[in-house]
Amino acid sequence: MLATPAITLHDVHKRYGATHAVRGVSLQVEQGGVCGFLGPNGAGKSTTIRMIMSIILPDEGRIEVLGATALDAKDRIGYLPEERGLYRKMRVAEFLRFMAQLKGLDRNTADQRIGSWLERLELPGVSRKRCMELSKGMQQKVQLIASLVNEPALLILDEPFSGLDPVNARVLAREIRGLRERGTTILFSTHQMRTAEDLCDRVVLIHRGEKVLDESLASIHRRFDPRAVLAEPMSDPVQAGRAIAAMPGVATCAWSDEARALHIRLTETADAQDAMQRMLQATALRRVELRRTTLDEVFVRLVGGDESVLAAQEAAGD
Amino acid sequence: MRRIGTVAWREFRHTALTKAFIIGAVVLPLVMLAVIPLVPLLVGGATLPLTGRVAVLDPQGAVAEAFAISILSKETLVPTDREDPLAGAVEVQVQVDRVTDASRETELRTQVADGSLTALVVVSRDDTGDKTEVLVPSASSPRHTRRLEAAAHDAVVRARVKGAGEDYDRLNGLLHGERVETWRISPTGEAARESTALRMLVPAGFMFLLWIAVFTSANYLLTSTIEEKSNRVMEVLLSAVSPMELLCGKLVGQAAVSTVMLAMYGGVALSGLGAVAMLDVVPPSHIVWLVVWFPIAYFMVAAIMASIGSAVSDLREAQSLVGPAMLALMVPLMLWLPIVENPNGALAVAFSFIPPASPFVNVLRLTAANEPVPLLQSILAVLVGIASVAALLWAGARIFRVGVLMQGKTPTPRELLRWIWMR
Repeated sequence: MLATPAITLHDVHKRYGATHAVRGVSLQVEQGGVCGFLGPNGAGKSTTIRMIMSIILPDEGRIEVLGATALDAKDRIGYLPEERGLYRKMRVAEFLRFMAQLKGLDRNTADQRIGSWLERLELPGVSRKRCMELSKGMQQKVQLIASLVNEPALLILDEPFSGLDPVNARVLAREIRGLRERGTTILFSTHQMRTAEDLCDRVVLIHRGEKVLDESLASIHRRFDPRAVLAEPMSDPVQAGRAIAAMPGVATCAWSDEARALHIRLTETADAQDAMQRMLQATALRRVELRRTTLDEVFVRLVGGDESVLAAQEAAGD
Repeated sequence: MRRIGTVAWREFRHTALTKAFIIGAVVLPLVMLAVIPLVPLLVGGATLPLTGRVAVLDPQGAVAEAFAISILSKETLVPTDREDPLAGAVEVQVQVDRVTDASRETELRTQVADGSLTALVVVSRDDTGDKTEVLVPSASSPRHTRRLEAAAHDAVVRARVKGAGEDYDRLNGLLHGERVETWRISPTGEAARESTALRMLVPAGFMFLLWIAVFTSANYLLTSTIEEKSNRVMEVLLSAVSPMELLCGKLVGQAAVSTVMLAMYGGVALSGLGAVAMLDVVPPSHIVWLVVWFPIAYFMVAAIMASIGSAVSDLREAQSLVGPAMLALMVPLMLWLPIVENPNGALAVAFSFIPPASPFVNVLRLTAANEPVPLLQSILAVLVGIASVAALLWAGARIFRVGVLMQGKTPTPRELLRWIWMR
């Protein structure tokens, strides 16, 4: 018998006045693994997540979480919202205990888990501090503990890496991997493609309120056939470049200072293996490699050309 | 229920178990209770006697002669020494200088100004009749000034009575020989001295007690909701509880805070009345009606404040929405006197059924001693009050559910109404 899906969305719509924020999104996230919920700013990610959490209700469609409504399953869900906050004057342990008790934990269990998580996330000696006394990074870790303290079967993280420094981002990534190994289903939204590529088993891409991609990472790599080849010439790069550019199936060929190699873009119809063979025959090369398609490229290919998206990505510093 | 209880306990704990609240709602009433019996002693001891020289400039001399008697006398036609209930009578130890030479007025005024004269009484006559002026230094105490004014008034009356050939003491005896006393007889036959002023104050006391208890916690509810929104902790909470559970928890927690306020201040008021043997002005039925109307008042006001708190991002924004609500709630404060004077008048009856003023108006009517409020009318008002609470809580919950996640511009009252019907 198949396990109950962690999340099921069926033809979900949400409108805010004239804005159709989510347009008929259907989605099924099976239990276990990490699912990246990607999309540019304003794509409808947070709205969808809020509907999954039953914080707001869909105008149309059906949502099930762990076989029930999110309201009924709240004790089994951990949620780190995009807009994070703490009671500024509450002490850390008191805040976490309050959140744990809301999730149905008794005081002793809550205190035990809070102590353990504070240690794991390298926050020793902060339990008696008031939340407002912590640095931003520490506050984010406390918020993460609040979402994990009930040992949820499903963890939903909305932009968990935003605002984190590289050290704390690494700690968070480590914990996400650890939770996946322990069988927790994780759905996290981000517009940082590299992070998603590092952590996700599966990716759902949403654009202008519509789902435009829903596949495993491996399948994405297979489906989005690579079109870029890097070739490092043994002799004069200008001559080698001219020779390669003249070959059939090559769209562009230019020197890349970053890669210290020729960056060759193939035409859509060219066979990559065949093209690479011919390059080796045409000129002396130290190495020739087929570049792996990145999520960044998939993202740009699917939502690219949309000026507003590119502007938003730029503004977000991606 | 568990989640509501957890939210309610946090709300109560972070409001009532704080230093500020304990000092304001627990320590302060207890200090007041301890200090009330000491006030007459403290104030009485601080009253200075009226001393020094008083000059009476009277070319005829009749008023000056009478003033020397009036300033020292307590049995007068014009009451010269209305005893202060807290401070007692003013002790008088003055020397009266009688002056008939009108040309000395400037010199005497100078002495008043520099404080060497306690007062100057100038008696003059013009076309319109006698005129008496009392001149005192700017530092003269109000109680001393009142005593001097009354003595000057009585001196003029004494001089006129004497000029008319009448006997002042005989007239005084005829006018002040008898005292009228009013006694209140309770249904069990016990008699107590009537104090109409106090009887007017009792309904006001009940209404203010209800007002303070309800508004203090409703205000806490408003600010804590705004704080949760501005700290962005709202969405974290909503990941663990539904908006309805959050609202219920907050309402219940602040209801407990309000009950503590009511019990503390009410207890102090009753203890104070007990200390001066006036507990009979508060029959048990008053307490029963207060207990009936308190939850209705609290949930009406709290529903309004919670919905406003959820709709705005900071306190400044809240003022624009709280203003109209406050106007409606100020009605019983503005209509206190006419309602107490005539608790069964059309005005009082009409406002008994109009929320959110109705709980306060009903408490005023029911505790006013003038005439009983028809029981059926009171029961109907309670039923309307309960229905209003249900409607306000329903609308408040709908606004709360939408408002808690809204950021940005303050909604207009029209938008708030639209939120009620939003899915």
